[in-house]
Amino acid sequence: MTEKRRSAVYRIAFIYSGAFALAVALLGVLVYVAAERALRGEQDLALGEATAALERSYRTEGYAGLIDAIGARGSTNGVVTFGYALFDASGRKVAGSFDLDLPPPGYSNVAFRDPIEGLDHARALTTRLDRNLSLVVGIDSQVLERLDRLILSLFAGVLVLILAIGAGGALVLGSYLRRRLDRISGTAQAIIAGDMRRRVPVSPRGDEFDQLGIALNLMLERIARLLDNLRQVSADVAHDLRTPLARLRAGLEAALSVDAPAAQRAAIAKAVEQADATLALFGGILRIVEVDAGDVRQGFVTVDLTALAEDLVDSYAPAVADKGRTLACDIAPGIAVPGDRELIAQAVINLLDNAQAHTPPGTAIRLTLRAEPGIARLEVADDGPGVAAADRARIVERFVRLDRSRAAHGHGLGLNLVDAIARAHGGTLAIEDAAPGLSAVLRLPRI
Amino acid sequence: MRFRVAARNTAPMHILLAEDDAETAALVERGLADAGHKVTHVADGDAAHRAGDAADFDLAVVDRMLPGVDGLEVVRRWRAAGIRVPVIMLTALGSIGDRVAGLEAGADDYLVKPFAFAELSARVGALLRRPPLAEAPTRFHVGDVTLDLLRREVRRGAREIRLQPREFGILEQLMRNAGRIVTRAMLLEEVWGFHFDPQTNIVESHLSRMRGKLNEGFDSDPIETLRGVGYRMRGGD
Repeated sequence: MTEKRRSAVYRIAFIYSGAFALAVALLGVLVYVAAERALRGEQDLALGEATAALERSYRTEGYAGLIDAIGARGSTNGVVTFGYALFDASGRKVAGSFDLDLPPPGYSNVAFRDPIEGLDHARALTTRLDRNLSLVVGIDSQVLERLDRLILSLFAGVLVLILAIGAGGALVLGSYLRRRLDRISGTAQAIIAGDMRRRVPVSPRGDEFDQLGIALNLMLERIARLLDNLRQVSADVAHDLRTPLARLRAGLEAALSVDAPAAQRAAIAKAVEQADATLALFGGILRIVEVDAGDVRQGFVTVDLTALAEDLVDSYAPAVADKGRTLACDIAPGIAVPGDRELIAQAVINLLDNAQAHTPPGTAIRLTLRAEPGIARLEVADDGPGVAAADRARIVERFVRLDRSRAAHGHGLGLNLVDAIARAHGGTLAIEDAAPGLSAVLRLPRI
Repeated sequence: MRFRVAARNTAPMHILLAEDDAETAALVERGLADAGHKVTHVADGDAAHRAGDAADFDLAVVDRMLPGVDGLEVVRRWRAAGIRVPVIMLTALGSIGDRVAGLEAGADDYLVKPFAFAELSARVGALLRRPPLAEAPTRFHVGDVTLDLLRREVRRGAREIRLQPREFGILEQLMRNAGRIVTRAMLLEEVWGFHFDPQTNIVESHLSRMRGKLNEGFDSDPIETLRGVGYRMRGGD
């Protein structure tokens, strides 16, 4: 029971049925008060009419006429019992079967002695006919009391019934909701215990609980995918770090085993270089994580992409020429995007780096900037050997290097960072066939 | 601790090093001492704050994550108190937001750990000799090379040399720091505004073109290449 007391479901169900019962009780009280008031009004009206008729008899036919009239009216009128009494000036009863003391003039609630039931209550109208005579007409309240009792007992019965139904309903509803919720928390418990494959059972009804279950299951799918991704990245990082660290270690070990200071110096310089490469790998991973987290959006300003692209081509053309390739451009004027200038620059630079790193000397590289509806389209294309269709989507992924033998070149994060930067700007990166060669297309929402 | 305008040529300079990692501190301290500087080392934020208040330093190297008051707050308090010592902030946090926060707190330069000592040394050199803004020269003379910032003009001897904007920017940085090493990262930051290192060595391509134009018809090369570290303009103060 303490469990039920703590349960929100039971608490709500009980409070609800309690409130409903309270409303019914309130209705009962209102009906009772209204009925009583209406009946009393009727009673007073009947008393007034009877008194008026008797007064008329007294005025026209005198005392004897009044006594006759009282006799003729009899003691009953349908279900209502009337009583009559006449009092003299000293308050002594002089006629009538209504056994009571003289009440004050006007309407009053009085007590009288019923020959059968003893002391009883009645409603009376006292009228002074003249200086010596007062007429009292009374109606036994019994009928009214019976009606009141009926109303009260009716409502009391209904109230008990409603309380019983409410309590029963609360228990049934509570245990039903409890059962549905238990299924969800059961799944959560199983996942906490380590079973990541568990999902919330969903019935075909499609009610609120099923919708909640579906939403939770989708969330669990997403988390599971992220966990997989994380596991994959951790494994990749561990693997990609092992290689340079192993080389570093081997180099240092070799340096230890030689005596020549010159050879040792060379080995140490190489070790520093390898350490730098490993640190660059870490830097690359952290940069991608930073961009993916989306905090960079806070620093967004309007970036003149036309100027940036021209600037980058100017900066890159000499270096590209030094490596025996050419860099041409076709840049549309007046294109601006909201973003981080340095991140966009890094994305374009990575594309330019990539176009150089994976093509033979003599390759023509072309940077094109075009305005499309709502979009700035920046393309870096080359006429080199390109990438097989099956690999095109894959090269954007983290640590994917198609040419493992050229391990010296990059850490396999370049395009992944470009992709992350594109997404942080609400844009996309597409790797397409330039036939011949490869084309990387960066699409960013334009101002 | 006012900025010493006079502290332009003759060493030794007095440098405050606020770094809690003992090993890094020892390496930096030894390196700076070898370069002829006097170093005062403190290991936490409160001590750094007090030291900055008490003594007259020419430069402060402050780790961002100091125990107690952190490095950002130390620099912020110095600046609030009108202490204008040049500050290089060292940090393990390399994100864009962290760098912006460091510079906003009042640091003059921001170096991400781990760094090559040569990089720190070059930046210390550049900051120590940086003249206050009011005195910033617009013309530089080093040897027989003259660079005029306002007229965007370079001359070697009597001959005018036409440079591309980036080439001009590189030569300007080298001449500002004549006699001292300017690293590739410093050139990328100052000339291109990049705080990352592109795979393609764009600095080298531009520098070799600039050097070619500068040396055409002359036998001597005023620019020295220090492999793996950076470049240095011969001569200067």
